[in-house]
Amino acid sequence: MLKATIDADILKESIDAISALVTECRLHTDENGISTRAVDTANVAMISLLLKKEAFSSFAATRSELGIDIAKMKNIFGMMAKNDMITLELTDDIHKLQVSFQGYKYSITLLDENTIRKDPNPPTIELPGKVAIPGAELNSAIKAAAVVSDKIALGIDAAKQIFFMAAEGDTDHIRREFGKDEVSFINGVEAKSLFSLDYMKDMGKVMSRAEEVEIHLGIDHPAKFSFNIAGGNGHVEYLLAPRIEAD
Amino acid sequence: MMCATCKGKGMCGLPQCPVLKRFHAQARTAPVREFMGYSPSLFIGSYGYPRVAGGPLLIDDADNPPSWVASGLGIEDIVDIRARTIRGMSHVTPYLPALQELAISSIPLDVEVRFTRPVSFDLTFDGTVAPVGLSGSLERMKVIDNPKVDPSVDRVISDTDLGAMGACSELHQSGIDVYQISGLMSGGLIGRRRKVVPTRWSITAVDDSVSIALKQKIARYSSIDHIRVFSNDLYANRIIVVLLPGDWRYEMIERWGPRSLWSGEKESITVDREGMKKKGYSPISGAYYSARLAVAEYLEATRQCARVIVIRNVSADYWAPLGTWVIREVARGAMNKPGIPCETVDEAVTIAGMASGFPGWGSYSTLLPEIRNQRTLFDFRF
Repeated sequence: MLKATIDADILKESIDAISALVTECRLHTDENGISTRAVDTANVAMISLLLKKEAFSSFAATRSELGIDIAKMKNIFGMMAKNDMITLELTDDIHKLQVSFQGYKYSITLLDENTIRKDPNPPTIELPGKVAIPGAELNSAIKAAAVVSDKIALGIDAAKQIFFMAAEGDTDHIRREFGKDEVSFINGVEAKSLFSLDYMKDMGKVMSRAEEVEIHLGIDHPAKFSFNIAGGNGHVEYLLAPRIEAD
Repeated sequence: MMCATCKGKGMCGLPQCPVLKRFHAQARTAPVREFMGYSPSLFIGSYGYPRVAGGPLLIDDADNPPSWVASGLGIEDIVDIRARTIRGMSHVTPYLPALQELAISSIPLDVEVRFTRPVSFDLTFDGTVAPVGLSGSLERMKVIDNPKVDPSVDRVISDTDLGAMGACSELHQSGIDVYQISGLMSGGLIGRRRKVVPTRWSITAVDDSVSIALKQKIARYSSIDHIRVFSNDLYANRIIVVLLPGDWRYEMIERWGPRSLWSGEKESITVDREGMKKKGYSPISGAYYSARLAVAEYLEATRQCARVIVIRNVSADYWAPLGTWVIREVARGAMNKPGIPCETVDEAVTIAGMASGFPGWGSYSTLLPEIRNQRTLFDFRF
């Protein structure tokens, strides 16, 4: 069972965060809020999203699982205005999510959860390097890198205490360094990994809205991007596998 | 090396394509002024668009490339059939209703045609459209048969609120092959704002529209588990399809061998790729979309998603450009075979290199380094 009211902007933000990686997902509800965890088709990136019940203006739910067609949701929510209030309602016996806003009433058929990939295990990778950076800065560096290359290196220079993002194209090179005054070094140990900009671009758009993104890095290891949504009442974690260039 | 990209479109600015001019060869003219027989389809030229000329194709053949392949015709046989084909030409408008009857019919129709002058031999080749040998200006045309119309064709052409892309995809889903769909598009029978479309444009437009719709579906299926290499060879066109696990990506590498149709003394290689979205028209032109259609049809039929690399290697024995249907049918043939399973990417690269006769293809691919270098999350301890 689910009966909740939420601001359109918050719901859209959450849907956008998920749709950056997958077209469908399993949404878990319980008395504390809703959550999802999904891996993209190529097993390269993972999203974990949690929306606490405080993010909703009213929330009541029991433990259940919903198969959501994210691509379809995105289309439907495209017409919502910023401050609309949306009511979501799911009863146990029917396989349809009732969504109402602005006097419209949608009845969205849910996907059979069994057809959606199983939830991945929660990640337990140790990533020592940690920095925190404004989401907008991160996104502009990603956009700049995409001009010259299809991959981007993220790293921490421990000696100089610099966080850098660099992209190497066939002919051109771009590098952006962030010093202590621009990022906060939570744990400034040496780290460097290379990532596909295909993924980074989609994730960057979502992260650009976050005040602060915590980046966890290792050496040739995945990166974790962790940030708040819904004014601190929700949380998103992206995990992205690196590219490793054979020399 | 513009020729391999242009394929006779006239990008060099010469009045006539020097490559295609070579085929203005032997004429076996039968200077008839009247024709009574079958017309399998219509043809709309692209010259002078939007004031285009068009008319019926007249031949006792179904104008259906899959049947040419199935009956084992060689390049010579096909050129021979097409050299006997008459292309009736005229301003489209007065004959449009008759031409539309040809387009909607699933079988060739009996027609009576009178030309203003005896037909002349004018064998034209073009990279996209199958060649046609004779042409004549229409004076009169009469369709004698009643067209045989598939119910799904009837439904889609009567629906004026269905966009052209949706119409292509719906017809394809109902089992109408792209050859008839492109005829319907050429005849201005689908879409919201209907227009007569030159045949060479409608061929690629249909390939593109159908495979875009398939692509959206494929993206939702789970990935294949193992690497597979498919290959097929016809009319000196070798097509190798490598399917690799992952989300939808498509890359095509086209090689025109030395002294083949569109290359000079040296080989000419063109590469293009896409993800979920494709920007602009492919430099490989129609072939890119035809091969993509064949692979997308396979993935949709097996309900799988994959990363796809298509290698087309054309040797000098492909002496006459028959049209993009060659690529479509060769690629479809490849996907109908079981394919060779491979353990590793390197093994697949080697097998594809041997099968294509183009061992160095790997260095032209941009998708391959991405696949090789990209780790998955499962490579790390969870």
